[in-house]
Amino acid sequence: MRAPGAFSPDDIVVGHSSRMRAIFDFVKVVSRSDSSVILTGESGTGKEVIANLLHHSSSRRHQPFVAVSCALFSENLIETELFGHERGAFTGAIKDKPGRFEMAQGGTLFLDDIDDVPLSMQVKLLRAIQNRTVERVGGTRSINVNVRVITGSKRDLKKMVAEGSFREDLFYRLNVLPIVLPPLRERREDIPLLTDFFFRRFAAARGVAAPSVSSAVRYAFARYRWPGNVRELENACERIVQTCTCGAVRTGCVAAGVLFGAGDPVPAAATAELTAGDTQSISLDDRLRDVESNLIIWALKVSDGNKSKAAELLSIKRSTFGDRIARCGLMDVGATEPGDVAVGVPA
Amino acid sequence: MVSRDQIESVLGRIRPMMQADGGDIEVVEIQGNSAHVRLTGMCAGCPSAQMTLYVGVEMVLRDEIKDFEELVVV
Repeated sequence: MRAPGAFSPDDIVVGHSSRMRAIFDFVKVVSRSDSSVILTGESGTGKEVIANLLHHSSSRRHQPFVAVSCALFSENLIETELFGHERGAFTGAIKDKPGRFEMAQGGTLFLDDIDDVPLSMQVKLLRAIQNRTVERVGGTRSINVNVRVITGSKRDLKKMVAEGSFREDLFYRLNVLPIVLPPLRERREDIPLLTDFFFRRFAAARGVAAPSVSSAVRYAFARYRWPGNVRELENACERIVQTCTCGAVRTGCVAAGVLFGAGDPVPAAATAELTAGDTQSISLDDRLRDVESNLIIWALKVSDGNKSKAAELLSIKRSTFGDRIARCGLMDVGATEPGDVAVGVPA
Repeated sequence: MVSRDQIESVLGRIRPMMQADGGDIEVVEIQGNSAHVRLTGMCAGCPSAQMTLYVGVEMVLRDEIKDFEELVVV
């Protein structure tokens, strides 16, 4: 999906989670504007997908979309990458070369990994964005650039500003329209939908029918933490489609790391008490979900998978129990076949 | 020498999921610091399942059991 032309609206999966819906609604609103957008999210949460969507739903969509990762270049190279250079600017500069800003002329420039830009470069970036002009390395003339700048960051830039590793003035220049993308583990309800989407897409690319997916695999996918987020899920699905020999996805197809990750009990940290000495931030929603899913697993185990009994044990309505199970990502209730029982409670 | 219990306790963490799919990973015998295992059920004949599962399981075994050497598919 790196190539600009490769983007298609079919690549977009909105999902059921309210946070993602809010993000897509927000994207619709801000795609008409020219203001800077900053996309914050862990690796693999879809920053480039959203940047693409912003560009392709804006009035700039017929102009270029240029995506560049600022983490790819050394401190010296990044300046010539972004601003270009004149012939003879340095050894090996045998001809003029436009930078990414110029290449995005009239369109959108997506600067990913902005948190990896060294401080010395940040001031030059600020100047370029503020004045809408760039100067090529070794050049003297200012070139006007009309680009919408979207930045991506895996770290919280506000914290970096507080720590002194990110310039405050650049932060405020970039942080006009902030969008925060949640990690996949905080929107587990979208895992089944994404899984089906990726299986369908990779199967179509390979010219085979989309495989059926067993409930145990869905269980494993729903429980695993996905540190690499949607990208990791995408890769897992691709690998499975490429290696599947029988047209049905079962636990044997799933990498052992995912199975072990799914089989591991919820980490002790989820229940451990916090003391005044703990200063790291935690996710309340994550923890509440962990507690909820542990109790549901316990109740289902005690009641031999009988949901009515389990609901009674937990003093909740049977009618809402299925929703809770799904919300905790314990089992894709809707996709479970009638004869397919109690897969939600291994371990 | 590694014990069968050690191996089984590691495998026990993924076994319920495999059994839910009508398969299993069966420890045939322990030889020194190596375990001979067999994949049974639905995924038994699938070469991809052997790769994804055996390779990954061996890694976890080596990680968690000091001295563990090899997972042998029989």
